Amino acid sequence: MTYKVIGKRVRRVEDPRLLTGGALFVGDVNLPDMLHAAFVRSDYAHAKIISIDTSSAKEIPGVVGVYTAEDMGEAWEPGPPLVSPPPSLEGVTFNSCRQVPLVKDKVKHAGEIIAVVVAESRYIAEDAVEEVYVDYEPLPAVTDLEKCLEPGHTLVHDELDSNLAAHLVQNKGDYEAAKKEADLVIKRKFKLDRGAAAAMENRGIVVDWDQKNQHLMVWDATQSPIPIRNGLAGRLGLRTHQVRVVAPFVGGGFGPKIMMFYAEEMVLPWLTMKLNRPVKWIEDRKENFYATTQEREQVQEVEMALSKEGRILGIRQNIIHDTGAYDPYGLTIPLNTQSHSMGPYDIKNYSSELSVVFTNKIITTPVRGAGRPQGIYIVERMLDIACRELELDSRDVRRLNFIKPDQFPYDHEIIDQAFTNLVFDSGNYQPAYDKAIEKIEYDKFINEDQPRLRAEGKYVGIGVVPFIETTGVGPYEGARVAIEPSGKISAATGVGTQGQSHMTSFAQIIAEQLSVEVEDISLVSGDTAEIHWGTGTFASRGAVVAGNAVLAAASDVRKKVLKLASKILETPEDELELEGGQVRVADIPDKSISLGELAVLANPFRGAVEPGTEPGLESTKYFGPAYGATAFGVHGMILEVDPETMMIKIHKYVTVEDCGTMLNPLVVEGQIHGGVSMGIGNAYYEKLHFDENGQLQNASLADYLIVGATEMPHIEVYHQNTPAPNNKLGTKGVGEAGAIPVPAAFAQALENALPNYDLEITETPLSPNRLFELLYRQED
Amino acid sequence: MKVEGEHLFNGNQQQVWDLFRDTEVMAAALPGTKKMELVGENTYEAVMNVRVGPVAGEFSGQLVISNEDHPNSYTMTVDGRGKPGFLKGVGDVVLTNQGANQTLMGYTGEVQIGGKLAAVGQRLIDTVAKSIINQAFETLDNALEERGKAEAEGRKADYQQSSEGDYAATVAKDLIKNVLKRKDSEES
Repeated sequence: MTYKVIGKRVRRVEDPRLLTGGALFVGDVNLPDMLHAAFVRSDYAHAKIISIDTSSAKEIPGVVGVYTAEDMGEAWEPGPPLVSPPPSLEGVTFNSCRQVPLVKDKVKHAGEIIAVVVAESRYIAEDAVEEVYVDYEPLPAVTDLEKCLEPGHTLVHDELDSNLAAHLVQNKGDYEAAKKEADLVIKRKFKLDRGAAAAMENRGIVVDWDQKNQHLMVWDATQSPIPIRNGLAGRLGLRTHQVRVVAPFVGGGFGPKIMMFYAEEMVLPWLTMKLNRPVKWIEDRKENFYATTQEREQVQEVEMALSKEGRILGIRQNIIHDTGAYDPYGLTIPLNTQSHSMGPYDIKNYSSELSVVFTNKIITTPVRGAGRPQGIYIVERMLDIACRELELDSRDVRRLNFIKPDQFPYDHEIIDQAFTNLVFDSGNYQPAYDKAIEKIEYDKFINEDQPRLRAEGKYVGIGVVPFIETTGVGPYEGARVAIEPSGKISAATGVGTQGQSHMTSFAQIIAEQLSVEVEDISLVSGDTAEIHWGTGTFASRGAVVAGNAVLAAASDVRKKVLKLASKILETPEDELELEGGQVRVADIPDKSISLGELAVLANPFRGAVEPGTEPGLESTKYFGPAYGATAFGVHGMILEVDPETMMIKIHKYVTVEDCGTMLNPLVVEGQIHGGVSMGIGNAYYEKLHFDENGQLQNASLADYLIVGATEMPHIEVYHQNTPAPNNKLGTKGVGEAGAIPVPAAFAQALENALPNYDLEITETPLSPNRLFELLYRQED
Repeated sequence: MKVEGEHLFNGNQQQVWDLFRDTEVMAAALPGTKKMELVGENTYEAVMNVRVGPVAGEFSGQLVISNEDHPNSYTMTVDGRGKPGFLKGVGDVVLTNQGANQTLMGYTGEVQIGGKLAAVGQRLIDTVAKSIINQAFETLDNALEERGKAEAEGRKADYQQSSEGDYAATVAKDLIKNVLKRKDSEES
């Protein structure tokens, strides 16, 4: 299908406001008579609370109140389970333990909230926090993923009989039988560690209870305003219409901002209703390290069985996944890991045992990639290792194993994060892979550049890794599109924006349908007053799920426009066309009416709307896919290692992306750039160091190294389009794609760069220090 | 965090032992100590100001001496808490007679730190810990000398408490030393 607006490199309409400081963030919300909250957080990762003394904090002038769990009375309850597995899943163990607003008796991770101070200013509140004295009885911390399951080990949750949060086994085919047929069976252990999402904007909440209106206003830097509204109404005993949640501009989400409910999100609304004054809290950077969720920690044992030609006969996997102190987010991350552990390959036999464990560390929930990078990492690492053992060209082996275009839809016979069958809807993998190999100039590098540079004493290596990304899962999203009497378009969706360009890409869909300029469309995302139903921004699903809801609503409005115009212009609908905000008769351009005039007529001042019709040129529609859309991509990189400092320079970075129909290539490329930077961090810089006592040792941006401009290569982005068959736009998600294959490509390139060291990388993130240790065998 | 090291004192084993068991001397030796008193058998309560890079604040806690083997060895357990976090440690101190009026003091221990101190001060903590120890030894050396002199002159010893200023200067000196050491090894 040829589009006029969809797929064009339209510049982001939100940028002028963002770049000139004209966009509203939660931090900008300041209300008269507003109070400020600060939290007393535990220094211990695991400790019993013996007593809490708030008396001297309360005496500080300007302190309005200091509250503990006891003060909350019946309002104290744990957060809701977000995505517990359905009881229909057989043989699944799942112990649901959710985070609490304020700790009552036992602290389960450093940074957990024990008390809240409310004061006339944040300064006073912070000073008072230091005056709250908590008497603890420290307990040994649970931190080791493997040891924590041993009998008799200290328990995170005393009501359970072990630290096991969940257990399940997924099987496809018969791995043991496949193993018997194999020419090569390799087995490795992988360690995948934690990183922070580290959004530029930390979390923040402003709440305002209006006693006279009986209305609660909430500004929340969340990815999920509608469920927050629904949940708050339920928790506080209000009707949904009494609560309005606005997620204005949000400076980066990356997953953790969809965690519900954070303790602060439970405490602040309670405070404003109790005190009858607005209350504000903006997370500081140190709190962000201790109180915002993290990801990626797993230990995996993986076995791969292959034929001597390199055909993958099967994979067996044992995953221990760290959920941290609580498991509100269920199994989303580790199920994603399983869904991606077969990569883009046609693998008939798979057996995967998953154990999720509780530890005295910060909760893990999806962070851009959400379990997928771990799956891609292990399958690609195992393939690289197998190819070395079989002395095969890894490119041929990958081509041999790709799922072929005629095998789609490809049913993997295991369940995915949405608890539906893992089905890859469509794909065409080899052309994209070949394109990446061509664009990175693989042969030239191996045959000419690398030998020459090696002769010059340089350590240069190449890595090319293909990956899939399951995207666009349900349940559903909605959109409302309306033509105003001015002829301008108003639209709304519940999918809030954290930088994804919703205001531009969704506007392009509407502009396509109604033939108006993108600039004439004003889209509100993330305000519950504008749309009632929806879930949120997550799982690379905006362009698929919300995008198709926007399309449905805009097409419906188009139908209404044509129907009304046909009557007024006395012309059959099929002889009408929409152009430049006008409906005109195709052959007689002068015979026309503007969208604005039609909008006025659609809202009659006298008479009546026709029976069976509604006033206005407006429509609200929803879209929910049966199953997701599977995107594909390949990343290739050439890097150089400084043999003395182990610092890395990336000389060339190529990506080929297939996310189906692109709404806006500029936006797709921006997503990939952002994802790659996060991936480079995950591969070589960003690791959260916890000691054996559960103490985070690098909780500042001085010690936790976020990738900056100096570490970023120039990225060449190429596109391939295999439209998704199960949605009208043909879109697939791309928000997380950039981050997924980077650690695997990085490891491959490092091994290629350092051939004399017998280097085999089975862990991520690495760092210059860690690489040095691996090369010189100085294990921890 | 592991702490270990040794220091040679100019005194016999009994003198060094007495020095270590003198609350007044120990309070003087540890920079930032505001208070140290014996509250029970071999149990001391102390209040100390600690500064590690950007993290600073008052710690209060207990120090317990156990496994005493006079005048050869003992175990020291520290448990302190304050606004910047907490620290818990246990260590063994061993004194060995080196003859010629010299005593070697060896120490090994394990210290656990938490809170802001661990999260933000991590990078500097090694250097700071070493500085505190070096500073303490310097003061103790002086104290030992002063004791000897006072004894000979038949007067009461007068200990010079090391100030937080001295301590800050030592930390700065040690940090620079570290950097220079690194630079030397790069050049060599």
